[in-house]
Amino acid sequence: MIWILMFFILIVNQANSQLKNQRCFVCHGVKNFGIVEQGKFKSLYVSKEDFEASVHSKFACVSCHVDVRVIPHLTKPQKIHCLQCHFEGNVVGAPVAAKPEKYKESVHARALAKGKNAPDCKDCHTIHYVRKPEDPNSSVYKTKIPELCGRCHQTIKEGYYNSIHWTGITRGELSAAVCSDCHREHDILPPEDPRSSLNPKNVVGTCEKCHSDVKLMKRVGIPVKNPEAYKESFHGIALKFGVVRAANCASCHGYHDVLPSRDPRSPIHPANLAKTCGKCHPRANENVAKGKFHVLPSEKESGIVYYVYTFFKWFTLIVLVGLFTHIVLDLVGHIRRKRKTTGE
Amino acid sequence: MALERKIQRFSLSWRIQHFLLMISVTLLIITGFALKYHDTWWGKFLIFIEGGFEARGTLHRISAVLLFITAIYHLVYIIFTKEGRMEFKELLPVKKDFVDLVESVKYDIGKSKNPPMYGRYSYKEKVQYWFFFLFVVLMILSGIVLWFHNYFFGILPKWFFDLSQALHSATATLIITFLVLWHLYLVHLSPSNFPINASFWDGYVSEEWLKENHYLEYLTKVNPGGKDKGGID
Repeated sequence: MIWILMFFILIVNQANSQLKNQRCFVCHGVKNFGIVEQGKFKSLYVSKEDFEASVHSKFACVSCHVDVRVIPHLTKPQKIHCLQCHFEGNVVGAPVAAKPEKYKESVHARALAKGKNAPDCKDCHTIHYVRKPEDPNSSVYKTKIPELCGRCHQTIKEGYYNSIHWTGITRGELSAAVCSDCHREHDILPPEDPRSSLNPKNVVGTCEKCHSDVKLMKRVGIPVKNPEAYKESFHGIALKFGVVRAANCASCHGYHDVLPSRDPRSPIHPANLAKTCGKCHPRANENVAKGKFHVLPSEKESGIVYYVYTFFKWFTLIVLVGLFTHIVLDLVGHIRRKRKTTGE
Repeated sequence: MALERKIQRFSLSWRIQHFLLMISVTLLIITGFALKYHDTWWGKFLIFIEGGFEARGTLHRISAVLLFITAIYHLVYIIFTKEGRMEFKELLPVKKDFVDLVESVKYDIGKSKNPPMYGRYSYKEKVQYWFFFLFVVLMILSGIVLWFHNYFFGILPKWFFDLSQALHSATATLIITFLVLWHLYLVHLSPSNFPINASFWDGYVSEEWLKENHYLEYLTKVNPGGKDKGGID
């Protein structure tokens, strides 16, 4: 029994070792290698160099293309899917981190299931040249993401390229947001979905990931207290309690083409504020530009609001101490007098 | 005491005003502080029992209308009725109030043998009235700006709304400090009133109480001729 098992293992090993990648590249490593399918030329070329730089370099071609057993293979190999390895509990050590699972619920997976043209793994990660996202040559390296998503979402890409976030990236501030920082990578959900990072109730949390980062905001020169001040404002509190018609960050700042207030194209440029506020407050006019935004009364930058707040703070304290002292004096006097009369 | 003579101290109109003020201010405090402390467990609880965030706002505005009506009622009372004008005159601060304050403290620390003799309203009550007068004016004005912000957006600069909001919030804190500490002390915890001075309800106080707390008023009420020469017993 054991002998038979050993024999099989030997055969299988031999078969595998015989089909080394080297042998595949004899054909597939030739640049214009391909077939004509339905009257169109289809390239079957795989760059050996790029494959060997990918995270899958140590795997054999046949690890994924399991139905290829002899070379040359006479039939077209079956379509393969990343989930062959990237599933929870796989034994080959393929990283999972629940991302394929997250993808399944995304807008892309759902569109795909309905037969629409939508990306799955290979469309973003490439087929044979998957690299780690930290690798500058990866298809999903941060600076390449807008171009990647923009292959389908073209107008949005153009809007985004006007934004301060993209300007930040081009100036080398790699912490600036690209598509995936707000929309997330795999579990991209429609904004109507309460779990979406861009659901009105989650927008503040999404922007805040970076805009409450003290070091980053200092580096890019944006007040870090803005999200906090927003959350203390009427808009912020109402939103927190589920009034989703209250303005969130994106309502005023825009989203894909977000720009600083100094830019005349920005919806928060002083000249555009009347229009921006006017979306909800019909009588808004140039008056709304007269004052600061994201005001925290306890901050000195808030001007007159700060002074009124501070005055009241101290005044309340003085009143408190004064009244308290008077009450204590009254009661002490009362007790002393009472003791005196009962003593006599 | 077998037969305690009762003396009417507050007219029906006065009591209605106080009652309206009490109801509206209590509601305003409960609904307002729910918003101010929305981050705390009790703030969340208050918002919950007030029927949610938007219902809380509606309740606050209804209470505000009640306070506004009370304020108008009071203004009409002190301007157009004889009784109101008399009461208002009694409430105006005079030099004696400052003397009384000093005397009262002297009496408390044992430097003076007799307490000051108060008229209809002592400095303690006058401080209360005027503080509240100021509070209500500030709250109504800033509240109107906040309530009708959509209208005022066309008229007032942005910073004015921030100012109104800060003012509304800060004044509220001052009110509650004052109310809890001073007003509740005067009418509930102070020795001569403990546990409660019920005159806010029926308008009556005992003759003893009036004699002890408002001797000069007692004299005019009991002895309009002013022949009583007695001091404090």
